[in-house]
Amino acid sequence: MSLYEGAVKRPIMTSLAFLAVIIFGIFSAMKLPIDLMPDIDTNTIMIMTYYNGASANDIENNVTRPLENTLNSVEHLKHITSNSRENVSVVTLEFEYGYDIDALTNDVRDKLDMVSNSLPNDANQPILFKFSTDMIPIILMSAQAEESQKALYKILDENVANPLARIDGVGSVSISGAPVREINIYMDANKMEAYGLSAAQVSAAIAAENQNLTGGTIDVGTQTYTVRVEGEFTDPQQMRDVVVGTHNGAVVYLRDVARIVDDVEERAQRTFTNGVQGAMIIVQKQSGANSVAISRKVMDMMPTLQKNLPSDVKLGIIVNTSDNITNTVNSLTETIAYAMLFVVLVVFLFLGRWRATLIISITIPMSLIASFIYLYATGGSFNIISLSCLSIAIGSVVDDAIVVLENVTTHIERGSAPKQAAIHATNEVAISVIASTLTMIAVFFPLTMVTGMTGVLFKQLGWMMCIIMTISTTSALSFTPMLCSQMLRLQKKQSKLFKKVYGPIQRALDGLDSWYERRINWAVRHRWTVIIGSFVFFIFSIVLMKVVGVKSEFFPANDSGRVGVTLELPIGTRVEKAEVVAKQLADTWMGRYGDMITACNFTIGQAGDNNAFASLRSSGSHIISFNVSFCPSNERSVGLAQLCDEMRADCKKIPELAKYNVMLGGQQSSMGGQQTATFEIYGYDMDATYDVAVELQRRFQESDIVAQALISRSDYEPELVIDFDREKLAQQGLNMQTAAATVRNLITGSLMSYYREDGEEYDIKVRYEIQNRTSVEDIENMLIPNGMGRNIKVRDIATVHESAIPPTIERKDRQRIVTVNAVMKDGEALSDGVELGNQLISQMDIPNDVIVQVAGSYEDQQDSNRDLGTLAILIIILVFIVMAAQFESLTYPFIIILSIVFAFSGIIFALVSTGTSLNVMSMLGGVMLIGIVVKNGIVLIDYTQLMRERGYGLIRAATVAAKSRLRPILMTSLTTILGMVPMAVSQGVGSEMWRPLGISVIGGLTVSTILTLVYVPSMFCIFGGVGVKNQRRQMRQKRELEGKQGKGTEIHSRRLI
Amino acid sequence: MKAIMISFDQAHYENVIAVLDRSNARGFTMVELTQGRGTKTGEPHYGSHAWPSMCSTIITVVDDQQVEPILTRLHSLDEDSQMLGLRAFVWNVEQSI
Repeated sequence: MSLYEGAVKRPIMTSLAFLAVIIFGIFSAMKLPIDLMPDIDTNTIMIMTYYNGASANDIENNVTRPLENTLNSVEHLKHITSNSRENVSVVTLEFEYGYDIDALTNDVRDKLDMVSNSLPNDANQPILFKFSTDMIPIILMSAQAEESQKALYKILDENVANPLARIDGVGSVSISGAPVREINIYMDANKMEAYGLSAAQVSAAIAAENQNLTGGTIDVGTQTYTVRVEGEFTDPQQMRDVVVGTHNGAVVYLRDVARIVDDVEERAQRTFTNGVQGAMIIVQKQSGANSVAISRKVMDMMPTLQKNLPSDVKLGIIVNTSDNITNTVNSLTETIAYAMLFVVLVVFLFLGRWRATLIISITIPMSLIASFIYLYATGGSFNIISLSCLSIAIGSVVDDAIVVLENVTTHIERGSAPKQAAIHATNEVAISVIASTLTMIAVFFPLTMVTGMTGVLFKQLGWMMCIIMTISTTSALSFTPMLCSQMLRLQKKQSKLFKKVYGPIQRALDGLDSWYERRINWAVRHRWTVIIGSFVFFIFSIVLMKVVGVKSEFFPANDSGRVGVTLELPIGTRVEKAEVVAKQLADTWMGRYGDMITACNFTIGQAGDNNAFASLRSSGSHIISFNVSFCPSNERSVGLAQLCDEMRADCKKIPELAKYNVMLGGQQSSMGGQQTATFEIYGYDMDATYDVAVELQRRFQESDIVAQALISRSDYEPELVIDFDREKLAQQGLNMQTAAATVRNLITGSLMSYYREDGEEYDIKVRYEIQNRTSVEDIENMLIPNGMGRNIKVRDIATVHESAIPPTIERKDRQRIVTVNAVMKDGEALSDGVELGNQLISQMDIPNDVIVQVAGSYEDQQDSNRDLGTLAILIIILVFIVMAAQFESLTYPFIIILSIVFAFSGIIFALVSTGTSLNVMSMLGGVMLIGIVVKNGIVLIDYTQLMRERGYGLIRAATVAAKSRLRPILMTSLTTILGMVPMAVSQGVGSEMWRPLGISVIGGLTVSTILTLVYVPSMFCIFGGVGVKNQRRQMRQKRELEGKQGKGTEIHSRRLI
Repeated sequence: MKAIMISFDQAHYENVIAVLDRSNARGFTMVELTQGRGTKTGEPHYGSHAWPSMCSTIITVVDDQQVEPILTRLHSLDEDSQMLGLRAFVWNVEQSI
């Protein structure tokens, strides 16, 4: 018993089996997480090696180079980049996508073991860690405070950070911008000198006093007591009475030489949100946890947290990355719902029967829901790719069911009972249904084998499409015939209402049929005109592409409503100046954008050592970093890219700014960020490469299409160098370490003891008054105690002079490098930027040993273009094989494959007319088109061939087949086109990402369907005509040969007589 | 005793069996897949790409008086759905065991 016979005969089993699939599917869907993109595995490993005291150059030669040389041989390595700066070398290994990072980490570790012996002795063991997208914070919360500002850190730490960290899946919660409490002891340099005291003495005295000690146990009578000394301070002001030394026989108290300030740490970052000072709370997730689920929990917790806070502390959200994800996924889900509605309408329009429409429509949710099982089983998520895939599939899953249903209807109309009709009709079309599914699988299966970045995106799509197609075919061969046998009846008479409503549609469709028949009649009689016309059209589209130009980019920018701005004042600028500039900009932006801005937050100042979040990014007194959040893209009229451009213009107006970097989306990335043309300048001579970089940057900034140009290398950083004279040090009984440590303690503060209160520990920092450490002279006047009890001034044993720290040495693939990043203005394409860059470089005078090269997102784009090109060829070959097997012919597949070029023309027209650029998404549309276009061709050729076999003449077979297949072809094409329309026109959040996909499919399919309908019958007639002529010639030759032979035998026999 | 050979479109199978049952013709021999085409209008049934449908053939041997009702019923079946095609032919059975 075949599949369909079994299904028809056992309707209960069939429906329940599919019901089970649906239940599993829904169950999986409920468990599926939501994300923006499929999980992109970590592909980067960082190796940090500390070598204290070495300069950037030494680090490069002695640490970075040996590491690079050894690590370069690790498999699947794409790029090796390094930063060598004072004291530390950071080597970053970037691997090809799609390999197991754990295995690679082991390889790297093995190589490190090999090389560690050849590193300098004083260099520390290299530290290896994996960098992943999980480290990007998922929520930035703001806390605005007034009176509680000074205690904000403690308040937030106890009442916000700790509860949040307990949420399942939250990795770490850190607080930035709220300074930590610190007990500062400021010593007066003059008094210290007068009393002959040193800082070390003071801090040692405090540490000695601030002690709790146990004194053992004693027995008193029958009792045993423990003895304790409680010397720890219970109030910081108690330290005033600590004896720090004697002078001329009199006791010197701490209060005589210093003041005690119970305040916050001296150097800390400060955060302002919407103009009010406060703090920023950064929530990071555990690796592998789902950000949407976590942020939902965090948001749920917010009201409770707010209740526990003092009344002046207000919590708010600066950035919630999951908002954008949820909005995007919701708007995509909406387009899918519309697509489904359109498809059902098209089916009803063409079939005109509600029962038939219902049977077909049931296939859609069934196949789609079944794919959720796959997603759940493989740990996938609802994301742009998997949902786009559903949207693409909607149009195609109904095709098989339509073919089956149509044939069953024909059988019923011929008089079969529905049950018999269902079995035999399905049997007749089963082979061709399976063959057409095979062509679709031939298109989508190779997608699962793409490597690289594009592979990550396409792998899921490929598998999902294959699974959806398989399910839809299985359902078309079992569920659909079963439903047909149960629901379809021979309709003898239609109701009046139905006739009234459907009558005009029927007449229009009939009219279309006969109009098309007339056109096709002309076409097959003027076939060369048609073919030449078609190819002229194709050439025209190529010319159009060359003349007008299709812009290209790697991935469309994602309007997440989030902008990150990093501003740099000249190095060494004081934080107060930075605050003025930041406030000025914040006021400008908040004034101009008003309601559009949901949060405008900026952070200034140098981060402390214990701030995990801040240590990931650069901070300094001269650096300002902004986080600006706008409302969702569908609630504002201006695009994010344009807003970024305007913000850049504002930055440009401030002359004090040395550098500004406005980042769309909040961070630099090749996917979803703004189009950035990256140029790498290779060369050993740092000055030469830097000159080229500066010149290129200047020229980029002058152009109209570039919004900002940045150089990766930083400037020289000013520093004060204290040069101790060894001889003098030795004469004073000092060594370099003691001297340096003393100076350090006087400036940064010595930390010898902690102040305890309520179970918390606070640093007690002992150092000079601020006014005693503001100039070179102040450093020169600092006192260093020697072993003989004398205090030596720095000026007596050392000289202090100004100098500059050379910048970090960056290397890529074992060569020194400087990178220039040119961010394109809104609406300008990456390809134009790269072209401009190449043009600028060719005009520049570049030294011989300097090489300039394009990289970054353009490189990714080229890689993916190459991958997709190979993929397209592979797909075409596979599809050809499937078709050739089906038709047992090489000619017909050839005719059909040629029709793909029209889809290409269609894509070009669609992209040019809408001004959309060619990117991964639109190319994905192109790849999918191959399958759909080929399907149309197969239907046409197959039926024409059938007509020929039934004994029709060439031209008549072509016209009759074309007319009879017009509706099925229009139907399948329209379901796909209309399924894509919601994607192409949607204005929802994130629509800019999938619009190119919709546009390219609609353009390509419309043009190719129209052309296929004319081109395929004509081409069939040309090849068929040649075949007929060949046959006739052969017959003629045979006849002539027989005739000659006949005459020959006659002569021969005569001779014999 | 007469033999009736009924050649019909596969879809008729259940109907034909029903006719035999109603006519008390218990015994029959059936060839499930046969090919053929009608003399005048009957579409070819080849099971091929061009003509995908197939016929079945049943031979039933019945008493002489049963022939007429069977043929009448089969004829009305054929009349109902002429597109499918059903033909019956009767001949004498000389001997049987």
